[in-house]
Amino acid sequence: MPSPANVISLAAVRETLAARFPEAAPLPVRHWTTGWAEIDALEGGVPHNAVTELCSPAGCGGFFLDRVLASLRERRGLAALVDGGHAFDPGSYDAGAFPRLLTVFCETAEQSVKVTDLLLRDGNLSLVLLDLQAMPLRSLGRIPSSTWHRFQRLVERSGTALVVLTPQPIVEAARVRITLRASWSLAALQRPRRELFEKVQAQVYRRGKQVLPMEEVHSRIA
Amino acid sequence: MSWFAAILLPQFSLQAALRLHEEAWSQPIAILEGDTEKGRVLEMTEPAQRSGVWPGMVATQALARCPALRLVPRAHAQEEVVSTLLLETTGTVSPFIEATAEGLCVADLRQVKAANWEQWACGVVERFAARKLRACIGVASNPDLAVLAARHAEPALIVQHPGAFLAGVAISEADASPELITLLRDWGIHHLGELARLPRSELIERLGPAAGALWEQAAGRAQRELRLVRLPETYWETYEFEHPIETTEPLLFILRRQLEQLTLRLAEAYRVAAQMTLTILLELGWGQPSESETGGKRAVASGRKLFPSTDGAVPSSAPSANSPDRYERVFTVPSPTGDTEVLFRILHTHLESLQLAQQPIGVRLRIEPITADASQFQLFESPLRDPNRFGETLGRLAALVGAENVGVVQMEDTYQPDRFRLVAPQFQQLAGSQKPESSESRTLGLPLHRFRPPLPAQIHFQRHVPTWFSSLEAQGEVIDALGPYRVSGQWWDQHAWSFEEWDIELSDGSLYRVSKHQGSWFLEGCYDAPVR
Repeated sequence: MPSPANVISLAAVRETLAARFPEAAPLPVRHWTTGWAEIDALEGGVPHNAVTELCSPAGCGGFFLDRVLASLRERRGLAALVDGGHAFDPGSYDAGAFPRLLTVFCETAEQSVKVTDLLLRDGNLSLVLLDLQAMPLRSLGRIPSSTWHRFQRLVERSGTALVVLTPQPIVEAARVRITLRASWSLAALQRPRRELFEKVQAQVYRRGKQVLPMEEVHSRIA
Repeated sequence: MSWFAAILLPQFSLQAALRLHEEAWSQPIAILEGDTEKGRVLEMTEPAQRSGVWPGMVATQALARCPALRLVPRAHAQEEVVSTLLLETTGTVSPFIEATAEGLCVADLRQVKAANWEQWACGVVERFAARKLRACIGVASNPDLAVLAARHAEPALIVQHPGAFLAGVAISEADASPELITLLRDWGIHHLGELARLPRSELIERLGPAAGALWEQAAGRAQRELRLVRLPETYWETYEFEHPIETTEPLLFILRRQLEQLTLRLAEAYRVAAQMTLTILLELGWGQPSESETGGKRAVASGRKLFPSTDGAVPSSAPSANSPDRYERVFTVPSPTGDTEVLFRILHTHLESLQLAQQPIGVRLRIEPITADASQFQLFESPLRDPNRFGETLGRLAALVGAENVGVVQMEDTYQPDRFRLVAPQFQQLAGSQKPESSESRTLGLPLHRFRPPLPAQIHFQRHVPTWFSSLEAQGEVIDALGPYRVSGQWWDQHAWSFEEWDIELSDGSLYRVSKHQGSWFLEGCYDAPVR
């Protein structure tokens, strides 16, 4: 049945609103492909225009950074690392991507938040990593939740992907939460890192979507 | 017939001093030549003149006539800038220019084809007005006549009939010796027209060849070659404050004015700014920059004072590149531009966190230009959306956490653990310079999280194997250990270093790296540990 002439389609309304209020219109969702199959499996990687929280013990967070550096080398992208605990050890990573990674060492959680705020407002870098893993939970708890919502508003406008590396879930506004788990022994220090990747268990949660357990991720990849 | 244009900046010293303060022209201000008390008035604004202040008056006499009078010493550096501006702007009219005198130059207009000289001259005056300069222009058939016309112009005067114009010009205005002028006055000759009516040969016979040259001027026939000068290609502005300043506001005000002028000049030359050099002249004494970017923890976020109070903590680090009486800083513009706002933001960001040990008394800004074409190429190649904004953000980050804590990692050429430095990113140069590389990780083991500085620790050994570990961060029984890894270097000089490293696993499953350095044990980092 043909639609009456006075009925406007929802798509047309959205187009009109986007044309009149371009700032309010959501940007098309893009993703930063990490090269980590479990993380990329859900939607193609870490979303731009959104805050992603990566919860893991210290050892696993470094694996994510390793993937980011590899991705920078491969895609010739630019990113920033805001190191909250001044814990980043360049000797643990391939130095090839360092010229593409702006590194900022901070002393406190408050300083880290300010630095991240400046980088997100700048909008020049497509990925910002805020590493708070080495910071005591006490100081992380003092970061007001409004900060994360503000970051979410900023990345929506700038199209930057913000990944917050935390020891426990603290980012309320995170659209995507990734948890990494692994158990290591000293023998792991002598194994190639690509082998160790396979032992890290990743779970990806998307706000508004069903929890995605590891088994399901693997079945999707298959 | 060829034409010459003389461009005169009346009240040259006054214009130089007040160029960036247009509002000051409505106040009684006088330029003083010499010492403040014994000096004499050189030039003055109209309100001062109305109050009875005249050139040549002693300062005290001028103040007696006009108590509200502000006496300003000559700003020689600013006069130099204005002289450059005069030549540069005249150079946009003709390539053949002569720097005739202070605040006066003559251009040969042989290549200028103007249908209406009056309109053309007004256009030139407007160009000077854009540079905040009041110019008078005289156009005539020879250089000396053009100079005389410029002195009578309001603001432009075209001399089509030299005889009629010279008839009313006082003889004292001509370029001749004072003795000759006095003698002619004694003869009752007060205007050039009167002199031109005398027979030339008899005048030379009585008064010599100098009188002949003067007669040529009076008749409007004096022809001479111009002493041509090369146009300066320097883009700089300078300003000396009347009093030492305490806050950034007046400095920013002047810097914006200076940038507006410089970018205007750059635009006319089809250039853009590639580098800026900011020089802040300090009051006598040791001016020491104490930028928060060098200290990292001294950022003055809201404070606008440029130098701390006497009880303030002034850092003692002596500037290596700055002389005692000045602070100098070079800014490379990430993406060369002629945009005043962008350039101003770069300066503003830096000044927000700058503290000086002495009060500034002047500011100088110099721009190194680059052709716009060259920069345009880089703009399209840039991997950054807005390189200038990024440069500004880097400046803010440096102010917040210290310059040594921002940058890209550059490993040092040594095997010593944890030796690297952060250097300024060169993202612009990365564009197209590297091919995509493999994403395959070539590293071994787990990434380390370092403790900086390393935490003091105690470790117990049994048969050369660690058995117990204790530090502020962790303690417990060592159930497994890898080591010792002994590393050393630079044994040949005083920077010799030596470490003994162990990787240990504690009974709770956590993995750490410990090291022995100069006889003491330290906890270097953590591979994996429970959340604190």
